Amino acid sequence: MSGSRPRLLNPGRVGVIARHTFTQLVRMKVFYFLAAFALVLIGVQFLDLPVHHSPESTGVQLLFSIKSAATGTMTLFAVVLGVVATALLLPKDVEDRTLYTILAKPVPRLDYLAGKLLGVLSLIFVSLVIMDLLLVGVLAVKTNAVVAQQLAMADAEGWTAAMKANLEADTRQLGPTWSLQGAVLVVFLRAAVIASVALLLSTFSTSTLFTTVVGFMIYVAGFFQADARDFYFSGGEGMGMAGRIGSLLVAVVIPDLQIYNVIDSVIQGEVLEAVLLLKVVGVTAFYVLVYGFCSWLVFARKEI
Amino acid sequence: MDAAVEITDLTKDFKTGIRGGWLRAVDRVSIRIEPGEVYGLIGPNGSGKSTTMKALLGLVAPTEGSCRIFGSDSLAVDSREKVGFLPENPYFYKHLSGAETLRFYGKLCGLGGRQLDERVTELLDLVDLAGARDRRLGGYSKGMLQRIGLAQALVQDPQLVILDEPTAGVDPVGSRQIRDLILELRGRGITVFLCSHLLEQVQEVCDRVGIIFRGKMVREGRLDELLAIEDETEIILRDADPALVGRIAELVAADGRASLTHTGKPRTTLERLFLEETRKREEARSSS
Ligand SMILES: Nc1ncnc2c1ncn2[C@@H]1O[C@H](COP(=O)(O)OP(=O)(O)O)[C@@H](O)[C@H]1O
Ligand SMILES: [Mg+2]
Repeated sequence: MSGSRPRLLNPGRVGVIARHTFTQLVRMKVFYFLAAFALVLIGVQFLDLPVHHSPESTGVQLLFSIKSAATGTMTLFAVVLGVVATALLLPKDVEDRTLYTILAKPVPRLDYLAGKLLGVLSLIFVSLVIMDLLLVGVLAVKTNAVVAQQLAMADAEGWTAAMKANLEADTRQLGPTWSLQGAVLVVFLRAAVIASVALLLSTFSTSTLFTTVVGFMIYVAGFFQADARDFYFSGGEGMGMAGRIGSLLVAVVIPDLQIYNVIDSVIQGEVLEAVLLLKVVGVTAFYVLVYGFCSWLVFARKEI
Repeated sequence: MDAAVEITDLTKDFKTGIRGGWLRAVDRVSIRIEPGEVYGLIGPNGSGKSTTMKALLGLVAPTEGSCRIFGSDSLAVDSREKVGFLPENPYFYKHLSGAETLRFYGKLCGLGGRQLDERVTELLDLVDLAGARDRRLGGYSKGMLQRIGLAQALVQDPQLVILDEPTAGVDPVGSRQIRDLILELRGRGITVFLCSHLLEQVQEVCDRVGIIFRGKMVREGRLDELLAIEDETEIILRDADPALVGRIAELVAADGRASLTHTGKPRTTLERLFLEETRKREEARSSS
């Protein structure tokens, strides 16, 4: 057969496995979640929000609510799918012996792992794009409505043109901005990290439940990782050896997810600097490569 | 010329239990299969047949010894270009149809485009599943799964096919189909390495057999040599009356050296009977 194909990470082969994983998940009907997302977006608009009497605070709360409900649901979906799908698919292949038939073809184990991860990630990505489009649509309509309301109020209170322009610019900053798109990308990147953690877990665990539970625990612990690391490097005053070793373990094994909290400030209307976004991309690439590589080390030796 | 399969002193230990006991699943087994041969490995459950095959495919690493396929080591990925494998009790992705399954495995082997489309159709015809082409595998019967598994193993036109219990759990008609397929592969010069605990089937298709018991190869050789009972001769008569049989018995008694061990009606096997009857019904139905 063709000897020209690269031995490892052949894009065609990885693509076949990724596409298959994607189809498999689609046929498991994960896209129903999108309907849930749409319901959340609709539901948020009926929230009973406090009534304001000054132009600059009118309707602003609604925009915050839409954005935080949307990014919250996106995060939930992305993280749950990243952990559960990854934790489910690999043991399922082992159990059903489909892995035998795949690895009995000229498929390196690295390609198989990469394909699985890529398949899960592309499903998350596509779902987030669809959710993002919905969010942008709803937010654009609502922002226009809020701006119109504010300007009408400002007129009634006799604001100057300059003041009104300022007000409008401030409010539009809370609408669909590029920073918000960046924040959605950050949601995806965070899910990519946690999916690769789940991939590593599922290469040595035989139980889907174990992988899922530990995966979520690591996700939660990821927010405190920086604290554990600080604690370790500060010398861990007032703690014994066990505490120090524990915090070292946390700092080494668990990814630092604090950097992904930029999403929150974007919801508050702050600008997401391109440099910061690049840094998040870099950190994500680092984690995915490290966890992916460790998964391969374990999986390459695994007796299936 | 390289042997199709060359297993040399293969030993495989498994860790059992939590407290680190070891189990020797395969114990210094050597098998050499020449290109074009059909080799059958027989032995009771748990005697190490599947483990031997998995080691040959690089799915488990040998504790000692080595496995080669057409000269290349089983632990290298490219050794699997020329081999097709049907695992024991295979399950494939239930959400894929028969044709999608074959396309998936074909693409893993680097096939694509028109060539793959034609190959898929050809294989579905070969295993008699053209009618179930677009049905999901979730609805396939055991025999159909086994046949789609065989088609999957053949997708890249391999020179060696490894079949782990190809007829286990399949009814006699289905297992006859699978046997015919194996014979067809042999006719095309493809090397077949199969294992089974169903001895009769091995007897019908294999050129050479090995008997493995508790991980050790206990007997190996050409089937006709292993099965011949050297000191007996069989005579089968048609329309013989009892008087003729009596005269033959007298002749044998007069010989002094030879003795008559058995006369009676030869029996068909239950399996042959079953196949014959179902075939008759099938013919009656299709002619009416
Ligand atoms: N992954 C494994 N871990 C531990 N023991 C195993 C494993 N695979 C097979 N065995 C053991 O090795 C022996 C041989 O198994 P196997 O090769 O499947 O036998 P066969 O295919 O002849 O029925 C059995 O006792 C089985 O329990
Ligand atoms: Mg077996």
